[in-house]
Amino acid sequence: MIRKSQLICLFICLPFFGFSQTYFLYVASESEDEVALIKFNGSHGFIDEVINVGYQATEIEGPHGLTIDPSGDFWYVTMAHGNPYGRVYKYSTKSNNLIDFTELGIFPASMQISPANGMLFCVNFNLHGKMEPSTVSVVDPFSMEELTQIETGSMPHGSRISPNGLNHFSVAMMSGELFEIDVITMEISRKLNLDFSLASLYKGQSDEMDHAAMGHAMNNQSHQDNHHSAIKPTWVIPHPDGQRVFIAANGKDMILEIDLVKWEVAKSFPTGKGPYNIEITGDGKKMIVSYKSEGSTAIWDIDQERELAVIKNSREITHGISVSPDHKYAFVSVEGKGIERGSVDIISLEEYELIDVVEVGKQAGGIAFWKLEE
Amino acid sequence: MFFHTYKSKYFLWAILLSMVSNSLAQSFQIVVDSDEIEIPLEEDYQILAQAVDAQNQVIPEVNFSFYSSASQILKVDKKGLITPLKPGQGNVIIIGRLEGIKEYQRLNLWVNVKHSEVKDLKIMNLPSEIFAGQRIGLEVQLLDLQNYEISNPNLIFESSDVSVASIDIFGNITAHQKGKTVIKVSVGKISTEMVIAVKKNPVASIRLSSNVQEAVTGEVVYFDAQAFDNEEKIIEAIPFVFSFSGVSESPSEYASGMIKNNGNFVADVPGIYTVVSAFGGREARRTLQVSARNVTEKVVLKGHGSVSNVHTSDLWVWEGVDGKDYCVTGTWGGNGEAYFWDVTDPNYLVPIDTIRVDARTVNDVKVSQDGKICVISREGASNRKNGLVIIDVSNPHDAVIISTYDEGLTGGVHNVFIYNDHIYALSNGERYDVINIADPKYPKKVGTFELDEPGHSIHDVWVDNGIAYSSNWAYGVWMVDVGNGMAGGSPSNPKPIANYAYPSGWNHAAFPYHDKKTGKFYVIAGDEAFPNGLNTEDGPTIPAGFLHIIDFTDLEHPVEVAKYEVPGAGSHNLWVEGDLLYVGNYNAGLRVVDLSGDLMGDLYKQGREIAWFLPTDAKGRIPNAPMTWGPQPHKGHVFFTDWNSGLWSVKIDFKKPKNTKLEKR
Repeated sequence: MIRKSQLICLFICLPFFGFSQTYFLYVASESEDEVALIKFNGSHGFIDEVINVGYQATEIEGPHGLTIDPSGDFWYVTMAHGNPYGRVYKYSTKSNNLIDFTELGIFPASMQISPANGMLFCVNFNLHGKMEPSTVSVVDPFSMEELTQIETGSMPHGSRISPNGLNHFSVAMMSGELFEIDVITMEISRKLNLDFSLASLYKGQSDEMDHAAMGHAMNNQSHQDNHHSAIKPTWVIPHPDGQRVFIAANGKDMILEIDLVKWEVAKSFPTGKGPYNIEITGDGKKMIVSYKSEGSTAIWDIDQERELAVIKNSREITHGISVSPDHKYAFVSVEGKGIERGSVDIISLEEYELIDVVEVGKQAGGIAFWKLEE
Repeated sequence: MFFHTYKSKYFLWAILLSMVSNSLAQSFQIVVDSDEIEIPLEEDYQILAQAVDAQNQVIPEVNFSFYSSASQILKVDKKGLITPLKPGQGNVIIIGRLEGIKEYQRLNLWVNVKHSEVKDLKIMNLPSEIFAGQRIGLEVQLLDLQNYEISNPNLIFESSDVSVASIDIFGNITAHQKGKTVIKVSVGKISTEMVIAVKKNPVASIRLSSNVQEAVTGEVVYFDAQAFDNEEKIIEAIPFVFSFSGVSESPSEYASGMIKNNGNFVADVPGIYTVVSAFGGREARRTLQVSARNVTEKVVLKGHGSVSNVHTSDLWVWEGVDGKDYCVTGTWGGNGEAYFWDVTDPNYLVPIDTIRVDARTVNDVKVSQDGKICVISREGASNRKNGLVIIDVSNPHDAVIISTYDEGLTGGVHNVFIYNDHIYALSNGERYDVINIADPKYPKKVGTFELDEPGHSIHDVWVDNGIAYSSNWAYGVWMVDVGNGMAGGSPSNPKPIANYAYPSGWNHAAFPYHDKKTGKFYVIAGDEAFPNGLNTEDGPTIPAGFLHIIDFTDLEHPVEVAKYEVPGAGSHNLWVEGDLLYVGNYNAGLRVVDLSGDLMGDLYKQGREIAWFLPTDAKGRIPNAPMTWGPQPHKGHVFFTDWNSGLWSVKIDFKKPKNTKLEKR
C-alpha cells in the first residue's frame, strides 16, 4: 500500500526520473574576451553560443568572474582591465544580449548576488596594484549602480555568500585575511588573520591553548602591516550547513576549515599543489578543489575528511569549478597556456572520472552553472 | 527504500517550509507616502516605510534596510533618514525582510534634491558700451545659496528701450542706435539689471585684404580687415565677424571650408569663394579663386612578409650594427611571439628569427637607437604576471633574451618605448614606469608618471627630444619633460609640460611634428574606436576615429586646428617624416598626407592625402580584409604592419606636383 507522503514525493520527484537532462553553464575566457554558453547532455558537452564581451576591441580586457542572478534571468561578468577600472556587465540569459554595466574598482573578480537583499557583492582583486587594502563593491543589479565600496584586505580574490544570504565572505590573498561582511548593513562584521589563526591551531595541538581567545585576539591585528601571507588564500566557500567555511590556502597547499562560531581555523587538510578554487555539492557531502599548479581536480569527502580522487585535467592551469545542483557533475575551467585553447573539463562526481572536454577560448576562468533542464 | 528514509521526510518538510517562506515573503509589500519625493538641500527627510499584507494590515515584524544609489547626492542612514548632500536626483532602495526568511521585498524611492533658494544672478560678459549694429550673446550664471550653479534656468530677457538695443529669448543683444537701455534678466523673483550705452558706430568703411588671390585647397589664406572712420582714420580693436560663401567647381559639391575670427580661411574644394568681414552694418568682401591641389602619388608595392597564422601588431625597423636593415613585428592574440626580419632588400622581407615568451599578445616592439636592444611587451601571461622582455638584437638572426622585467608591470604592458638607455613602459593602463637599462641584464625602475585625475588611464607613450608624449584616452595628450630640460624633468623625475584633451575621449596615439618652415609645433593625436566591433576571426572591421592636429606652439594654450579623417575608416598608429604624415588607417590601409604649410580644417576634404595603399591578402589571417596597424618610413621606403596580413614594404613614387607651389612645400 502506498502511503500519502510517498505519493507527494513521487509527484515532486517525477521530473527527475525517466527524462534526459541538459545542463547549462557559462564560462569566461580571460584572454579571448568571450563568454561561452555550454550545454551538457550527461555524456557530451558542446558550445551553444559564444558571446564577445568588452568594449576595447584591440585590447584584452579579461572577463574573469561570472555569476548568475538567483532568478536565472541574468548573468554577470566582471572585466578585469578597464581605463583603468574594471566593470561588471549584466546580460540576459534569454538572449545573451548586454543589458547594462557599471564601473567598479581595479580588477574586479569573483562576485555573487545575495538572496537576502538582491545586491551583488564583487571583490576588487587589484592583482597588479600596490600591496594595500582593496575593496568589495556592492552593486544594485536592478539599476546597475555601485552603491558603495567596502575596504577589506590586500588582493581580495575568492568570495561567496552564506546560504542564508546574510553574510559575504572573502579572502585577501596577500594580507591573508578572511572577511565577513554583513550583507544587510554592508559593513565588515568580522575579520580573521588566517596565518595567525593557523599558527595557533598548530600551537594548540601541542599545548592546550584557548583557541577562541587566540583567534579573536588576532582579529585586532591591522591588515595594513603589509606582510605577505604565507597562506595566500585564494578562495572561500561556506558549507551548506552554515556553520563553517572552507578556504583554499594556495600558498600552503592545504584547505582550511573555519569554525564560524569560534571564528578560528578549526582544521587543515593537506592537498595537491596550488589549491585555487573550491566548490561544495549542495548536499554538503563533497568538496571539489582545483589544484591549479598541477593541473588536476580533486574530489573530497567532507565528513570523512578524505581525498576521494584526483583527476588529471585536459591541460595545464586548472581554474574554476561549478557543480550541478543534482551533485552529479563538476564543471572545471582549465586555462591552458599561450595559444592553446582553454577548456571546460566535465567530471563525474559519481564515477570520479573525466567524462568530456569542451574546448573554449584562451585562459578559461570564471564559470557559473545556470540551469538544468529536462 | 528511499521513501522510508529519514532524509526523505526531511526533504519533504524542507520543500513545504520553503513554500511557506515564499508565501510569507510575498505576502507583504512596502508602502511609503510617495515613491517620488522632492526635498530641499538644507533639510533631512525621514522615510516612513511600512509593510502591509494583502488586506492592507501593517506587518510590524518586517525589518527595513535603506541604501542610497547616489552617494554623491544623498546619504541615508539605517533608520531611513535621508541627508541631502548636493542638488540632483537619485534613488533610495528600501529592502523589507522578515526575520529568518531569505526572500525580501523591494521598493525604489526616487528623490529629487532641490537647489536651495536662488542667491545670485550674474551677467558675466556684458560690456558697458557697445556700438550700433553690434551683436553680443549674453552669458548668465545663476547660483543657489550653497553656491551650486543652477543649470538651464528659465531666464527671461528684457530691454527697456528696444529701439536702442533689442534682446531675443536666447539672450542675444542687437544694438540699433545711439542711446542707453537697461538690460534685465530675471528668473522667478530674482532679477538683475545692467545699463548699456550704445554708441554710434564709428566705422564708416572696412577694407579687406588677403595675402593671395589664388590658392589651392587646404592652403590657409590670411584675410586682414581694417576699419576706418569718416576721416579715413584706422579704428583699432574692432571685433569683426568673418564669413564666407562660395561656388564649387563641381555642380554636385558645395563650396565648403573654414574661416576663423582672425580672418584665416581655408577651402576644402575648388571653386570661387567670397570672404566677408562685417561690423555694425558695414562690410567688405574679397573674392578668392581656389584650385585643386592635384597631388597624387603612386605607391609601388615592394615586399610582403605574409603572416597568416596569427594577427600582427606593431613593428620597428632599424639599421643593425652590421649595417643591414631589420624589422621586428609583434603578434596579437597568439602564442606570445615576436618575429625578426631582414628587410635590407625591401623587395624581399625575410623572416630570420622568432622569440616566444609567456604571453598571448606582444602588442608593442621597440629597438634602441644603437640598434642593439629590443624590448617587447607582454599581455595575457599564463600566470597573469605580465611585463616586458629585453632582447639582444646585435645579431637579429639570433635574437637572445637578456632579461625579463615585471616589477609593477604585471597588469600588462600594452606599449613601450626605448630612449637613451631607458624603457618607458605602460603599466596596466594606469601609468608609465621609467626603467633604466644601462645594464640590460638588471633593469631598474627609476621613475613613474601617472595622472592625478579621477578615472585616469593611459594607452601609449612616445619619447622624442627628451619629451614623453602620452596618450591618455579621455585626458588626451600629455607632454612630459623626461630629460629635455624645459621643465626641469628627467627620467627619474618626469615633469608635465602641457596637455590637451578633446571631447570624444578616444586619444590612443600621439606623434610630435615640428614644421621648420612655419615654425609651428604640432602634436598629432590619433583616435581609436570600434563602434561596430572588431572581427577577430572573419570578415572586415569598420573602425572609427580620426587624427586631431593640435597646435602646441603656445604650450600654455594648445589649439586643435585641423583633422584628418578617412570616411568609413578608423585611424590607428602614425608617423611623420619631413612634412609627410604616414597613417596606419586600419581598414583604409596605408595613407600618406601632405602637411606642408599651415594646417587648418579638414585635411582629407582638402585633398591633402597624396597616396594610399590597401594591403589585400587572400591568404591573410582574415583574408582580403586590410587592417593596417602602423607605418614606419625607413631609408626611402615605407614599412608597415597589417593586423591581418603581416609585414609590407612600399615605395612612394614622388613626382612634381602639378598645381602646388613648391616654395610652400
